[in-house]
Amino acid sequence: MTRGATALDPTSRATTAAGVVALCLVAVGLYMSVTAPAEETQGEAARLLFVHVPSAITAYVALGTGLVTAAWYLIRRSAAADLVSAAAIEVGVLFTAITLLTGMIWGRFVWGLWWDWGDARMVSTAVMFFFYLGYLALRRSITDHRVRAVRCAVLGIVGFVQVPIVHYSVLWFRTLHQGPSIIRPDLGNSTMDAAFIAPLGAALAAFIAVLAYLVAVRVRIARLEAAVARSTTTSQPVGASVSPPSGLSV
Amino acid sequence: MNRRHVLIPAGALLAIVVGFLVWGGLGDNVVYYLTPSEAVDQRAGQEPGYRFRLGGLIEADWLEGTDDGVRFMVGDGAVSIAVEHTGAVPQLFRPGVGVVVEGAWEGDTFRSDTLLINHDEQYRAVDGEGTYQVPTTRP
Repeated sequence: MTRGATALDPTSRATTAAGVVALCLVAVGLYMSVTAPAEETQGEAARLLFVHVPSAITAYVALGTGLVTAAWYLIRRSAAADLVSAAAIEVGVLFTAITLLTGMIWGRFVWGLWWDWGDARMVSTAVMFFFYLGYLALRRSITDHRVRAVRCAVLGIVGFVQVPIVHYSVLWFRTLHQGPSIIRPDLGNSTMDAAFIAPLGAALAAFIAVLAYLVAVRVRIARLEAAVARSTTTSQPVGASVSPPSGLSV
Repeated sequence: MNRRHVLIPAGALLAIVVGFLVWGGLGDNVVYYLTPSEAVDQRAGQEPGYRFRLGGLIEADWLEGTDDGVRFMVGDGAVSIAVEHTGAVPQLFRPGVGVVVEGAWEGDTFRSDTLLINHDEQYRAVDGEGTYQVPTTRP
């Protein structure tokens, strides 16, 4: 158990390397976002494109990872798949929150309002956010590992239905939110100038790298938590493994 | 798997599907705004002073600032409606841009007190001089 916590552990070093790569990609994405041209209608506010859109796509990817690994768990009963699924969904909730927040700020600047319950894109995204918050709550409310893994896997699969609903809401309903610029029915005809595509791609790469890093860290934490839970419940009376921190007192 | 393993997720799935069906079943009621054509068509069935949102493009031909707002035409290519807006005018307000105004008919004029910008999915880079070209039509 202590081996997993040392800095020399190979998974730890891989995670650190992923973190460094993510940090570099964030720096590149940030630079390209700042140096991109302003947009004709929206001016400088359009730079939120480089946070809001990658964040939304990264949330989709995270929840998609949660879906695939949840299915993997149900097929193979792999404990690792369960942990990865929960970690991906947890980070997906974070990116959904970032999407909602940046969307509200952008909406205030450009449309003239923070939020509107009449808009299908806003409402479907909020519903998705609260659904997956419910997933996280469910996960914390079940102590039995196998019961928790099965229920969460099914919920993680079912909940993904909302991702296409969120994405297509702007096409299915008449919304204040504009339609998709790139991932649209006529896929070849992007309505976005090439000058925005490169910074958007760089920002997306950075967000995906951050997602990978955060999921890796979250899985490690879950593993350590599970190890602690095992050691305290099987071999020792409650509280026996807890000792005052040494070396911290000055 | 025992019954509860199936029931809880099945209930969740049902809730989502029912939620979206009810919502989708409202069909045309789930529109954020009426187009000028729809607003004119539906006017006969509305009570006087009925508030709704009207959305379209700001037309270039007629547009003037007033003491406490702006007067302009909103069109959808077929029908244009004169809008008299009282209140703040957003920075992005300019001919060719989409707007959603909230208010009610007053004669043949739409009197609005809320003006939102409803831009399209076009992203055009500002060129070297930063000049503004009026966009023509929405796709």
